[in-house]
Amino acid sequence: MQVWTKLFAKSPFKPLIKHSEVVLKTVETLERALQLWYGGDYEEMAGLAVEVDRLEDVADRIKEEIRDSLSSKLMMAVAREDVLIYLHMQDKVADAAEDTAKWLLIKKPDGVPTEIRDIILQMGMESINAAKLVHEAIVQMDRVIESGFTEGEIKREYEIIRGIESVENRIDALDTRLMQLVFENADSMSWGDGFYILNIARTLSNISDKAKDAAERIRLMMNK
Amino acid sequence: MGSALYSTSTKYLYLTSQSPPVVSVDAWLIFTVILGFWMAWNIGANDVANSMGTAVGAKAITPKQAAVIAGVMNFTGAYFFGKSVTETIRKGILNVGMIHDPWIIVYGSLAALLAASIWLIFATYNGLPVSTTHSIIGGVVGYGLVYAGTSIVDWGKLGQVVMSWILSPILGAIVAYFVFKAVKRSILARADPLRSARHWAPFWIGLAFVVIGTMFYIKVLHGSNLLKGVVLYGVPTGIVIFVLSYALIRVHFRPSDPYIGVESIFRKVQVVTSAYVALAHGSNDVANAVGPIAAAYAVITMGMSGMKVPVPRWVLVLGGLGIAVGIFMYGYKVMETVGKKITELTNTRGFSIDFSAATVILVASWLGMPISTTHTVVGAVIGVGLARGVKAINKDIVRDIVISWFITVPVAAVISAVIFKFLVLVG
Repeated sequence: MQVWTKLFAKSPFKPLIKHSEVVLKTVETLERALQLWYGGDYEEMAGLAVEVDRLEDVADRIKEEIRDSLSSKLMMAVAREDVLIYLHMQDKVADAAEDTAKWLLIKKPDGVPTEIRDIILQMGMESINAAKLVHEAIVQMDRVIESGFTEGEIKREYEIIRGIESVENRIDALDTRLMQLVFENADSMSWGDGFYILNIARTLSNISDKAKDAAERIRLMMNK
Repeated sequence: MGSALYSTSTKYLYLTSQSPPVVSVDAWLIFTVILGFWMAWNIGANDVANSMGTAVGAKAITPKQAAVIAGVMNFTGAYFFGKSVTETIRKGILNVGMIHDPWIIVYGSLAALLAASIWLIFATYNGLPVSTTHSIIGGVVGYGLVYAGTSIVDWGKLGQVVMSWILSPILGAIVAYFVFKAVKRSILARADPLRSARHWAPFWIGLAFVVIGTMFYIKVLHGSNLLKGVVLYGVPTGIVIFVLSYALIRVHFRPSDPYIGVESIFRKVQVVTSAYVALAHGSNDVANAVGPIAAAYAVITMGMSGMKVPVPRWVLVLGGLGIAVGIFMYGYKVMETVGKKITELTNTRGFSIDFSAATVILVASWLGMPISTTHTVVGAVIGVGLARGVKAINKDIVRDIVISWFITVPVAAVISAVIFKFLVLVG
């Protein structure tokens, strides 16, 4: 009898999806915070930024739980290291969101020209969109396994991954434009504002960067 | 020498062990029957969950339904299909020609039954995936060694038997690997998996019945021509069942997710395949209880240990009944636990495991290979896992199986040897 109670281990995918849901919530909260920041509503934005920080902690705890439960004695449909590295990357998405939230909290964006704010908002939306797609990708990965790795489901997964990767190009273009703008406006802004803007941009593009790394791992999971 | 354990009737036996009087004959016979029944009870109580685990775990049937299906099908399997393996165990391992006092077989059978039952209970309690088949073989070897030393054991035959144990999980894994791949290719990978499932599910049920029909010809009608069995019994049975199940399997809803639909079809298929596993289990494992009874019975009633002693029908009934009673008294509870513990198994996977394990067991049982049901089923689970069908399997279980190979036979042999020595002294 104990054969059966021991034989099947818990799939890591349900917890991975649970973790991903928290990460999704984190970036969605950041998205709203960023919109408020853009609109100049600092007080309300601050509340959401703190919430981002709290959600990141929740994600961290789930990550630890999953790590502890993934024994090397498991035989899985995907390699254990892929799951672990994916988890790490997925968690980094929330970390990056938290970094952005911290920078948003540093000061009120009064001295930032509107055109720069426009670009930052655009970068934010793109980057956060990539993070949202990661959630779709891991849910789809569960489906790929459910289907027994059938081509149709793998194809759908590749489409999602391509969606995440394509964000990168757009972010790069926006990033270049942003840097140009910062230097063009160098005379009208303080060095502090420049530092502030470039760091928000850096942490925002980091979100999509980590999203891309996570997607890359899903690619490897399917290619085992 | 008489022990407090034994009634006055056994004392007669002590006095006349070569040709026991009528009174003591009954006592020994009753004793053997009780122990054989107990062994069968153990199989039902501890072992049956291994054949029904996937169906209960994948929520195809409730533990209650599993108990009924397992009870009926184990009995059917034991009664109709459970003969050829009995012979192999009894005759093959020990050289019967070297046993000069036929009563040694009675003591030996009792010792083997008792040793196997004790070891089974101990091992199950401690979570080792032991095989009833291996335990009883260990018991037989144990009394043989004490009686006549190493020369009585046919080591070549024992080697073959041991090989078949190692083979059983491997065969289970290979067959399950390909069955799951076939299910994937024919159903899951299709544009409309639900439609494909409706067409293919009856095919698999039909295929199971081709095997069952052929086994019926071989085991019940004692046919010897395999081709004839397949063509005249297997295939027609399979076709009838195919048509019937094709008509019966309907999808009453159009789920948004096609895989949910496929699983719901295979949930029904699993009701059939779980019965198939139970049938295979009964036919394969009843020999472990029935073999020693039949051997002892032959000696007690005919005073000899013939090379070919028929297994009386009532002994098979007794074995089947013992398993069924074990299921209802205890196995049912075990299945309830199993149902709660397995949460991640879907029906297509459960089906692949069931179908493969049962087919391997039935064919092996036809070939006279005493293989382990438990190990074959675990092998099948690993096979589906290798086909990337199961999300997570504990690899520890493989280690446990290998450990159980190395300890079950020696431990059962030692227990049996001690009991045998004791019985010879009091007997």
